[in-house]
Amino acid sequence: MSDFSLDFDSVSPEIWMQNEQDWKDKLLKLPNWCKIPLINSNASHNLPDGSLVRFRGMVQDMHNPEFYFEQFEVFNTKTNEIKSKTGKYTDTANILENEKINYTENLKSAQRQTMVVVSLPGFNEWAQKIENDQNHLKHLEQQPNTSKRLNSDSTKLKRSYDESQEDPEAMEIESETLNKERKKAELLNETSNVVSREHLLNFPLPDIASKTCIIKIYEDDENLKLNDMIEVVGFLSVDPALSGEFNSEKNSLLEPVSETEAEIITHNPPPSLVPRLHAVYVKKLDHCNPLIKDSFNQEAVLHDANTARDHLFKALSELLLGDKLAAEYLICHLIACVYLRQDTITLGQFCLNISNLPTQKYPNYGKQLYDIIKQFVTKSYYLPLTVENMNTVALLPKKDYDCNRLTSGILQLSKHTHLVLDETKMEQGRLDATGVNNITALGNLIKQQKVEYDFKYYKMEFDSDISVLVLSEGKSLLPSDYHIPLRPEESSLEIFNAIVEAATYYLKEEIMNTIRSYLTNLKLVKYSISEDIQFVEDDFIEMRNNSDEENPVTADDLHRLLVLARLVSLSRGNDTLNKECWDITKSMEKERLLRLKNRIAPTL
Amino acid sequence: MAMRDYTADKESFKNFFLEFCQIDDEGGKFFKYSEQLSKVAHREQVAFVVELDDLYEANEELAEAVIKNTRRYTNMVSDVVYEMLPDFKHKEVVTKDVLDVYIEHRIMLEARNHRIPGEMRDPRNRYPPELIRRFEVYFKDMSTSKSVPIRDVKADHIGKLVTVRGIVTRCTDVKPLLVVATYSCSACGAETYQPVRSLQFTPPPACTADECRINKTAGQLHLQTRGSRFQKFQELKIQEHSDQVPVGHIPRQLSVYCRGEVTRRAQPGDHVAVTGVFLPLLNSGFKQIMQGLLSDTYLEAHSVTCLNQSDESEMTEALTEEELAELADEDLYSRMARSLAPEIYGHEDVKKALLLLLVGGVDKRPNGMKIRGNINICLMGDPGVAKSQLLNYIDRLAPRSQYTTGRGSSGVGLTAAVLKDPFTGEMMLEGGALVLADQGVCCIDEFDKMAENDRTAIHEVMEQQTISIAKAGIMTCLNARVSILAAANPAYGRYNPKRTIEQNIQLPAALLSRFDLLWLIRDKPNREKDLELAKHIAYVHQHSTQPPGTTRALRMRLVRRYLALTRRKQPVVPRALADYIVSSYVELRREARNARDVTFTSARNLLAILRLSTALARLRLSDVVEKEDVSEAIRLVEMSKQSLQHVDENVQRGISATDRIFAIVRDLAGSGQTVKIADVIERCVDKGFKPDQVDACIEEYENLNVWQVNQVRTKITFM
Repeated sequence: MSDFSLDFDSVSPEIWMQNEQDWKDKLLKLPNWCKIPLINSNASHNLPDGSLVRFRGMVQDMHNPEFYFEQFEVFNTKTNEIKSKTGKYTDTANILENEKINYTENLKSAQRQTMVVVSLPGFNEWAQKIENDQNHLKHLEQQPNTSKRLNSDSTKLKRSYDESQEDPEAMEIESETLNKERKKAELLNETSNVVSREHLLNFPLPDIASKTCIIKIYEDDENLKLNDMIEVVGFLSVDPALSGEFNSEKNSLLEPVSETEAEIITHNPPPSLVPRLHAVYVKKLDHCNPLIKDSFNQEAVLHDANTARDHLFKALSELLLGDKLAAEYLICHLIACVYLRQDTITLGQFCLNISNLPTQKYPNYGKQLYDIIKQFVTKSYYLPLTVENMNTVALLPKKDYDCNRLTSGILQLSKHTHLVLDETKMEQGRLDATGVNNITALGNLIKQQKVEYDFKYYKMEFDSDISVLVLSEGKSLLPSDYHIPLRPEESSLEIFNAIVEAATYYLKEEIMNTIRSYLTNLKLVKYSISEDIQFVEDDFIEMRNNSDEENPVTADDLHRLLVLARLVSLSRGNDTLNKECWDITKSMEKERLLRLKNRIAPTL
Repeated sequence: MAMRDYTADKESFKNFFLEFCQIDDEGGKFFKYSEQLSKVAHREQVAFVVELDDLYEANEELAEAVIKNTRRYTNMVSDVVYEMLPDFKHKEVVTKDVLDVYIEHRIMLEARNHRIPGEMRDPRNRYPPELIRRFEVYFKDMSTSKSVPIRDVKADHIGKLVTVRGIVTRCTDVKPLLVVATYSCSACGAETYQPVRSLQFTPPPACTADECRINKTAGQLHLQTRGSRFQKFQELKIQEHSDQVPVGHIPRQLSVYCRGEVTRRAQPGDHVAVTGVFLPLLNSGFKQIMQGLLSDTYLEAHSVTCLNQSDESEMTEALTEEELAELADEDLYSRMARSLAPEIYGHEDVKKALLLLLVGGVDKRPNGMKIRGNINICLMGDPGVAKSQLLNYIDRLAPRSQYTTGRGSSGVGLTAAVLKDPFTGEMMLEGGALVLADQGVCCIDEFDKMAENDRTAIHEVMEQQTISIAKAGIMTCLNARVSILAAANPAYGRYNPKRTIEQNIQLPAALLSRFDLLWLIRDKPNREKDLELAKHIAYVHQHSTQPPGTTRALRMRLVRRYLALTRRKQPVVPRALADYIVSSYVELRREARNARDVTFTSARNLLAILRLSTALARLRLSDVVEKEDVSEAIRLVEMSKQSLQHVDENVQRGISATDRIFAIVRDLAGSGQTVKIADVIERCVDKGFKPDQVDACIEEYENLNVWQVNQVRTKITFM
């Protein structure tokens, strides 16, 4: 088995092509892929051109398919030799100086799909760290890199990207505050055709380091959708000549401009920044938690659920200032995901609105809470809902026809991402058109789990699965499925800072890892409701009878109850609905509604 | 594949152009292509369009060959036409421009040089055909061929004629594109021609004329702009329609190259159908060096047509087999009604009414009078009964619709505003929601919250279907042929059945009577219904699908297309039905007088019934209104009244449907002993009962020996 990984170290597209099926089988048999360098953890400049690598990320954009020459002939003007070559798994023809491609005959064209894949947006530090530990390959760094990378120099242009001399790691952490759009416009106006990094990387979230790859997929796979999490194994292609900035002067008089300059540059970014990957295998990922191994054992997961839940419950109820009910809801929120989508029904979304936060005393309470939550979940993003943010930030992805690509927005997130909206930061002010649109977009996301992408001539809805947590002082201006006012205990309120400290101390790495696995695993558990749920029906009828003018009980309420019951059962390690959990659910809802009814004045 | 005999094809084209004719309305023969040829010969027309439909009629095989290898046949037809043109030239054309003078000279020169027969000429110095031809050949795709989704235009379409639809996202300026470059030699003066077939070309390095070659002077070549031939050229980018994109994918794009006559046909944002040849394009320059392994593709346009609206394009396409099959099974009417807002459980009659609103009745204009066909509906009800959801769904479903709220729109926002153009100072009219929704649906939420003076604007729209403007010196009348779907909340939070509607909704009777149907949606706890609902929801959660018993909702797109289909029908009410309608109306009026009526039954109700029944006939895609349509329409009107009248439920509950039907029968019989069953059914259906309920009642009482039914079951006789 061990020599397999060695093979993968040295395999090149030519060798692969000779025996494609065998290689593929071999790859699938490999117990783990750690030895195949992961670009997310290993800088691409340490890897040779044409070597087999991996990349993990989210499909951000899909370009038009490319027609490439699967088979073509090369004619050597010196030796008069004719060679047959293939254009599969490569971008450049790799021909020598005195060789010429025969464009007139014996050409075989084929189609390949190009996708832009970005590293998972909102991927949290701890997960990245574990992933790095698992995948970082030390030996790569010692390699003198340039010699092997460019083994075939013929017409290469030796100008390098103006920034690529710097250490890429250092650049990654650069914080960008400028609006993406504005920057792009500015830069395009300059005479030089250099565009900003952010424009090329096109990452959904600002301020976060990321990697982008262009993936070329050879198998026609209709299954890959936008925003899917995928892991790609493929051949790296980092020939600097691929950069669109080296475009030679065009005779604009005679040649009609079929693509604008902006488009060429955007579609051909410098490979040092955006490596190309010719995929030999694409795997869809269900989760991205590096702690969870491939084999999924439902029973074991359910068995361990209660221990993990106790830890989590203890930590959260302390952090929520002793409010046990809110902690219950928060746990449910953390394990919720959309599990049914049919026609117009979406089930499973669990947007939680925790109001009545003690912001007077702890203005940064929301952020502090988020800092703990992000330690638990694999992907999350914190968005302070300030008027300024709403008016300037691009939430919705938008098609940019100048560059012919989808410019990402914050709401372009892969499934199971936690979005925390901090409304306590909101102040009075004026929302302009963008702001209103952004608020509507957030509302739609919460209500329907759909994000509308702007294609200028029409809008298209894309399904999303983003758990939204809204933190606010009063009831949020955004809709929510479950709204719970926090009821802090006086004693805890005084010593919140100490609690945070204690919690950090309590949550040791080991406990943290239990909780982390717990949260991810529960999203994968198959849950069922038995046929006999008389108690549910009876309760609903009773509720309907007791409903009064002010609080009408409708079908939505039953949906909500059933979703909550599912999460309550799951969090306690049951994969079916039983009476006990149903009763817990009912009493939770009852208490919550009671709290809503006699809402107390905000605590100071 | 055997090579086609192209010379034979050429011959058949020639014959086709000469012989093809159509019989026009007067029975005369119309030689379509001969006509075109003489027009082309006289320079009255540039494009020579060959319709493949015609060709298919004349020569099936050839038409198919053309579709498969369009580029080649384009050149062939061009040759054929060129050869035939002189025969069609009946009069001298006045020389028009420089190029014509050039062409004339060239032809003369050619004739002079050709005096010695059999002389071999350097092919480079021969005139390329493009230089002297002033017409363009286009093929028009067959009307039966389906448009291909952009996504499916793949390598196997290369070289073939395809029709695609999409939205233009980008179009370049129209620029001249060099077709034939003409050079003159500085040494010998000979002209050299170079046909340019791609987007770039390399000028020849030296003169190749005999004189220069023999003298070895290698004279320099200069490009002669005036002697060269240019063509208009424009590139379009089209993008898939949103409905062609699979879920979760990004729309794809396609480049379209337009030359000559097909340029300037579309602008960004237009919906277009493009017929053209799908061709690969070799990269050059940077791309050839660096990415020599890629080839771009484009569509060489033969025709570009703008489609005004997406709904029209959808309409033109006939329903496919499977779609028809999907529509065919089961009761279409209730199935479609259930497909409206499927997430809302129940409310079937309301949904049926909304479906009819989408279909719309037939407009009538007897001697200048105008009777609207659009149906107006007002939904009322307690807060939280999904009124807004229904409105929203209709707004999304209707091909043309506007959604506003009463509070958010002023009278001006609804009708039209007069604006002053800041630059020219001219007065302009800008349409409001009602004008924008012309021929569609205008959904107005919170109808009751509208300010008094804004409501008056709606009065005219709802009956006359126009908006009169007399503002700032502009006096005009705008069309607003809209169906209004309004939602209103009761005045004091809850609907009070003890008061009249006006009091409840606080809308004037004049406005309320303009609604064909008024629905009061109430959400009362009801054990049976609640249990059903609970079971339904629980099932969804248990099995992650809809219960099997319920019909699957039709897809929105299919409903939309079917509705477009229904709108083409113009059903009429046959004379025979008139009596039935009249008597039903009289019955309605009589009842309204007797009962303590909270609504008003007026002549408008009669019109409403007519509108609803024509809409029902349309829904069946029928040209004639049938009796069932009328009785269903009456049933809906009755149900809508019942929802308002709100007979005290406690009393109702005790009496079963059977008992009530019995009461009706007894009523009908009056002092007499016998009643016709047909009358009974008619009356009961009007009251909102189903025929099978009536049958059940008749049977039950027959068993009880309360009455007897005769052998043929047409008469009931009381014992």
